[in-house]
Amino acid sequence: MVRTLLHVFRNTPRGREVFMQSLYFCKLTGVSIVIYIPEHTKFLMYYDNDAVQVDLDKSYLTDPGTAKEHAEDLAEKAGILPRFIKPKNFTASTLPDIPVHFDFMCCPMSIASLSAKISPGHIGPKVRRIINAATFPVIIPIPHFKEWHSLVAFFGGSVSDVKELKLALSLKKATGLPLDIFTQAGKKPKKYFEKILINSKLDKEIEENVREWYFLTKGKFQHNLYNVPHDALSILGAYDKEFVKDLIWGSTMEFVQKTLPNTLLIAGPNYIIPGG
Amino acid sequence: MMKIFKLWRYPGRIDFYRADDRLLLIQIGIIVGVLSGLASVGLTWSLGAMLDLLNSLRYHWWAFFIPAAGLMLSSIFLETIMNEGAGHGVTEVIYSVSKAGGLIRLRSCFTRLISSCLTIGSGGSAGPEAPVVMSGAAIGANIARFFNLNERQRITLVGCGSAGAISAIFNAPLTGMIFAMEVILGEWSMVHIIPIAAASVAGAETCRILEGNRIVFESSIFHISSFDIAACFGLAIVASFASVMLTRMVRGMHNISKKTPAPFWLRAAFGGAAVGIMGFVVPDALGEGYHTIHAIIHGVYMEGIGIAFIACLAKIIATSLTLGWGGSGGIFAPCLVIGSFAGLAFQRVLVFAFPWVMWSGEGCFALLGMAGMMSGLLQAPLTGLFLIVEITGSYDVMVPLIIVSALSTAITHYFEPMSYYLKDLIDTGALLRPGTDQRVLSDISIREVIEKDCISVSPDMLLKDFISMVKKTTRNYFPVEDTQTGKFLGIININKIRPYIFNTFLYDSVVVEEIMDVDPAVVYYDDDLSEVLYKMDSKNYFSMPVLSHARFIGMVSKATLLDKYRDELKAQTFHIV
Repeated sequence: MVRTLLHVFRNTPRGREVFMQSLYFCKLTGVSIVIYIPEHTKFLMYYDNDAVQVDLDKSYLTDPGTAKEHAEDLAEKAGILPRFIKPKNFTASTLPDIPVHFDFMCCPMSIASLSAKISPGHIGPKVRRIINAATFPVIIPIPHFKEWHSLVAFFGGSVSDVKELKLALSLKKATGLPLDIFTQAGKKPKKYFEKILINSKLDKEIEENVREWYFLTKGKFQHNLYNVPHDALSILGAYDKEFVKDLIWGSTMEFVQKTLPNTLLIAGPNYIIPGG
Repeated sequence: MMKIFKLWRYPGRIDFYRADDRLLLIQIGIIVGVLSGLASVGLTWSLGAMLDLLNSLRYHWWAFFIPAAGLMLSSIFLETIMNEGAGHGVTEVIYSVSKAGGLIRLRSCFTRLISSCLTIGSGGSAGPEAPVVMSGAAIGANIARFFNLNERQRITLVGCGSAGAISAIFNAPLTGMIFAMEVILGEWSMVHIIPIAAASVAGAETCRILEGNRIVFESSIFHISSFDIAACFGLAIVASFASVMLTRMVRGMHNISKKTPAPFWLRAAFGGAAVGIMGFVVPDALGEGYHTIHAIIHGVYMEGIGIAFIACLAKIIATSLTLGWGGSGGIFAPCLVIGSFAGLAFQRVLVFAFPWVMWSGEGCFALLGMAGMMSGLLQAPLTGLFLIVEITGSYDVMVPLIIVSALSTAITHYFEPMSYYLKDLIDTGALLRPGTDQRVLSDISIREVIEKDCISVSPDMLLKDFISMVKKTTRNYFPVEDTQTGKFLGIININKIRPYIFNTFLYDSVVVEEIMDVDPAVVYYDDDLSEVLYKMDSKNYFSMPVLSHARFIGMVSKATLLDKYRDELKAQTFHIV
């Protein structure tokens, strides 16, 4: 079965950096890329239980005449055959509907004209709806492309984290990159997490496939994040724990996104593990 | 605490509601109806306040700037501030029911209320009904989303929101219900009717509590003679003509506006200014025009046949300018005004031409004109009929109302086969009513019907090996894939290679590459099933390969498709009793 990643292409140098991250992900994992070149600054995605409007800025409409050519060139250099989609349905004349039946999506970096805002963290609230609704994991890119040499899965013991761990294991197998696990345990003993793994029948797989488990009981979370390799693809689960707590204090995912300079792959609460 | 909250968010999982979800839908429908009613009352009050505020300014020479500013602000609010990508409210609601499982954006709960308030309050010729319907439907959709209801339940609540809104704004619960079923959902099923009726009553009651139980256009008793009945045939033609004219003019203005090389807000301002200038000559062309209908129904509108015709034409042009050039609002209220003008003009012509006949009053013909206009424009005779009966309290004109509504619908349909709300959807193939072929096909994705148990072969496989493999399988099609790249090269159809199969001399000399079909008709992973079926029918195929990124994914066959089609049809129509 061909697995696909949706990328919203921006025909600018910054868009190229993001696109290269998508291409690199596809190359490593064997996933095919589906490209949408926007003709309007917004589009709608109808998920099972939510209609999510993605608002882009005008830079996504830059030089539409060369956009396809540029995307094809970059894909060809990466050895990937791209497929372009054109919206078939429109909720309103300037509001196209984009399908949602993909296996991954690279979240468009909705940046403002102010260069100060070009940073990870800024896009957190805007992608929240997509992550919450999507049945696929969402890549949150960083402004500059760099290759990944390992995978890091953040494991906090929640249902979403277990799904995310399964995703990380499948990516480890597909890419052959070493996989590390990062746990900010706090007062919880390691046995607590191991029991979750046993209950999820992941214990043996973890033992066989994980290079290192950063199990941190001391220090602040933001300080401990220094242990995450700078060239790792970070995989996280999001938004399934404490709804009210997340709403008031913000989620761990958004904190990681704000702190780490790594490309993130987020599995939301509605993420469905293929075949699982 | 969280467990209670979670259970609360998933009421469909409570045992009590599992047996019959109508009980759940009735309860949530009432909430939706009340909220739609509040939205409607809020808009009515806001419009009243805005009209009061701006009324004293309308006598200045620069008053034409007021609608210009209103329309400009309305379009900026909708397009720039709220990023709505606006369309007609009702059309978007029908689209969501047809194509999006009743999902509507949260922001739509209030955006059209504010934008239409700016448009109508400043003098633009539009109605508050479509924005309230949009708002009510969005409230229903988002409450359904909050409670994690399924698609069918969500669509019912969209209907509840629409019904509650219409019911509240006209104080007409029956019309609200019929509008939701006839126009929004396009189906009459018990599973929808009961919650929608509850929501409609809730909407009307909310409005009655806050605004009092008033009949919108109360009229006196009309005495209908057989001459009036005969005149209905002529009035139906006039009303149809007016509705065709309005439909085409709004669309024409919209097309001109789209082609005008100016920013959207400037175009809206131009439309508003044009309406404002018109308002100097024909003040009745401005705003929603309910006061004009009151005057006509009570027989106190200005004398003269020409006046009535001019006012009718002016209202059509003003509405086209407002809605076509970027204003926000609905067509219901202008439709009622234009219909009443058409009825008035027709009655005056009759009185002039046949002065010896005792014709019914101007008010009666105005009512009939409104019904004819509504029925023609919306292609929804029941909505038109019941709306007029309820908003005027005139049950004594039922017979002529039925005649005018039915005839007007039929005549308008001849010239404009699609209703005002549905035209765009039908043109783009986005109108999918439940139980129709297109809807069933659209609800099945190609992924659901792909047969993946196909056996791929390599191009250099010997015919001998191929035949021995065929013996072990029941399949008729064998995709040929490049062994290095995995790319799809062609397909072998057993029926087409029979001469080779029975010629044993070729077994060791022919390879698969030589007998495969290198240019077979294929379908793609993203194709809609209607496209797939079209390809199959046009080329008389029963099975086709499905590709994605030049790779073979599986086969799609008519047999599998029919099985799935029947399942889907059963699922869509099981509740229709």
